[in-house]
Amino acid sequence: MQNAKDTFYIALRSRLASVNPARTMTLRGVTRPAILVSEAEAPMAQPLLDAFALSWTGLEADVQLPAILAQMTCEIQYATAGTKANAGLDRGRTLEEMDCEVFHLLYPYSTQKMNYTTTPATPMETFVFWSEPEFGPAVALRDGLSRTVKVTVFAFQEQGEA
Amino acid sequence: MSTQPITPLPALPPMGRSVRAYFAPVDRVHRVPTLFDPSVNGRFASNAPPAPWLDLGWIENFTRKSTSRFGELITGSPGTTQFQVRETVDASVSFRFKAWSKLSMALAAGSQHMNLLVPAAGGTANGSGSKGVPAVNLTSGSNATFLAMAASDAAGFAAGSLLTVDVDYAGQTGFVGSGVCAAYVSSAASVNSDPDYIRRVSFNVARVASSNATGLQLSQALIAGVPAAGMRVQPISGFVDREGGSFFQEWSALFVIDGEQGERILFHYPRLQAMAGAAESVTALASPLERIALSAAFRALAVTDANDGERVVCFRSYLPAAATLI
Repeated sequence: MQNAKDTFYIALRSRLASVNPARTMTLRGVTRPAILVSEAEAPMAQPLLDAFALSWTGLEADVQLPAILAQMTCEIQYATAGTKANAGLDRGRTLEEMDCEVFHLLYPYSTQKMNYTTTPATPMETFVFWSEPEFGPAVALRDGLSRTVKVTVFAFQEQGEA
Repeated sequence: MSTQPITPLPALPPMGRSVRAYFAPVDRVHRVPTLFDPSVNGRFASNAPPAPWLDLGWIENFTRKSTSRFGELITGSPGTTQFQVRETVDASVSFRFKAWSKLSMALAAGSQHMNLLVPAAGGTANGSGSKGVPAVNLTSGSNATFLAMAASDAAGFAAGSLLTVDVDYAGQTGFVGSGVCAAYVSSAASVNSDPDYIRRVSFNVARVASSNATGLQLSQALIAGVPAAGMRVQPISGFVDREGGSFFQEWSALFVIDGEQGERILFHYPRLQAMAGAAESVTALASPLERIALSAAFRALAVTDANDGERVVCFRSYLPAAATLI
């Protein structure tokens, strides 16, 4: 399942770099597209603004199929306080920009599964695919706004996969 | 020469999101449907179907039903079934069109589908529209997306307006309509020898993108392609269909489900005729807002498979995902 999670994250990261190249963050000294996997970063006291954070929560598996079908819930959280130039009064607009980017990041709703533990990464035989986004309500967060989007990610376990 | 080996996967259950519908005209005069060959075009890009297939978009509640009847040959005492026979071959298909258009309305309504000609002044009121304003002539230089005409005629069509392009009705009987057989005329008297009748039922319609002194640029290509000699143009304001009528729409249909692993399932009905009248179904959005879909139901009619001479009504094709065992 780790290959599926890695594939989903890298797919979204690549799409973000294309959809909005200006949305970047500098984390651990490296500037990169502003999307991260929470479980792969140091714990943060509060969410990183203007960035997408993926959290893997639910997991189910259908073992009655020729290959195990894993069904994982991914929560995409993002928050914004607007721009300094507008004293944060545009936080609704910047949240809407991120909502729109989520649509573009998730479509098309599938991508070829990759093994990123090898160098270079090697394509696998199946596709990772996912549901359409389920948007949660916008939540006031201090002087900003945040939202959580739920996506169910599906992947077949291939032979030899952990 | 050698190739890279693959690691085969077991056959996986297809998983798809929705069904996409494509339709193509049937030549009613010569009784020739449009055949889809999955061995040639099975992997076409879903946004660009091969000609003459028309993309009707995603549909919902797609349901196929075999209504073929089987009989048994019983012999002996006590009787035991020795053989089975197909007594009838029959099938139906139903679904909902999400989007309303000339074509989806016509397919769902099943009977003649009419264009609402922009009415001439002083016309008598009529349920399917009154007499239209006079048609205008085309000049040389027209094509499927540009209608050449005199500047004074072009000035009558604003950008965004709708129009129909077809020949005058001149007493002919039988199937009429350019590009698509749109109606069947039994006698000139039945259509009042109306010169606009064919334009009233024609599928050769479009929206005007822009207008200038040389003619009209269209937002979409005409279904009949380059306008033929004698075709004329009339403005329309929309469409109308009726419950009733003696005509049956008949189209070739193709339904495609793309699986998540790259597999594809195709259902090809060479001949579908409507088997239900006009009806709608609604999906609640946020009360009182509702999304209104066109309900459609069809009966599949038979064709002969050239490979073995069998009479069949539908072809189901499956193109497996890469690397799966078959």
